[in-house]
Amino acid sequence: MGAHLARRYLWDTEAEPDPVQMPTFPAELGLRERRPRAMVASAEQLAQGRVPLEQRDFCGHHLLRLMRCQRDNFPLPWGCHELRHAWDSCQHHDYVMRMKEFERERRLRQRQKQLRQEQEATE
Amino acid sequence: SEMSKDMMPGPYPRTPEERAAAAKKYNMRVEDYQPYPDDGLGYGDYPMLPNKSQYERDPWYQWDQPDMRHNWGEPMHWDFDMYIRNRVDTSPTVVPWHTMRKHFLVFLSTMLIMFGLGAFYPSYRPVGPKQYPFNDLYLERGGDPNKEPPAVIHYEI
Repeated sequence: MGAHLARRYLWDTEAEPDPVQMPTFPAELGLRERRPRAMVASAEQLAQGRVPLEQRDFCGHHLLRLMRCQRDNFPLPWGCHELRHAWDSCQHHDYVMRMKEFERERRLRQRQKQLRQEQEATE
Repeated sequence: SEMSKDMMPGPYPRTPEERAAAAKKYNMRVEDYQPYPDDGLGYGDYPMLPNKSQYERDPWYQWDQPDMRHNWGEPMHWDFDMYIRNRVDTSPTVVPWHTMRKHFLVFLSTMLIMFGLGAFYPSYRPVGPKQYPFNDLYLERGGDPNKEPPAVIHYEI
């Protein structure tokens, strides 16, 4: 798990992405038709549901349904497993998307480094 | 139980007769009696006893006052109320001071170095930052509703 840390701190600071300064490259570079992410729940609905700010992400609609189901079934903890699975699955796909973004940034940085080295070789 | 004037502490003893009288007053032998040095701080002829707390006295001996570990008529230290068993303890430590100090400094420096390394080279997962809707929650995070927020669009990948 620490391979990217070793590459960034010990060997190759240029080619490893810095998570604080992501994204560095324009979104359309290399990917022609990119669809913007669709937000299903509205800001008012999230505010009325008193959802914490850290959880008002693109899986907010699943979370609102889950919270309503938990409120209806209280104090029984079972009964909302399907909605919980839907929310967890959405969060998982969101995390996988973050991993893919990181990998895209890394490949673009490596490509940039290669182009720079080729340019310096020809000069 | 009023004490008469000659039983109270007096001025610093100058002559050997005054020293003998003061030692007798405090129930001490003349050889053991040693007053505090006369530097004007007001100890007078009160004896200077070793700065040992009552913890260091034998717990198994039949003291007159077992909780104080003190016998009747025994000369009390100037700071006796500090050296009782509820307060200051001057017992020798199990491990010598320099060993304790060395262990503590090794531990402290290791922790500081590791925390410093973690501060300058933080550890993170190989993922991009979390993406939030509505221009990174501009209004929810206290942005001015009258101003135009910086447009932030997140794409699927």
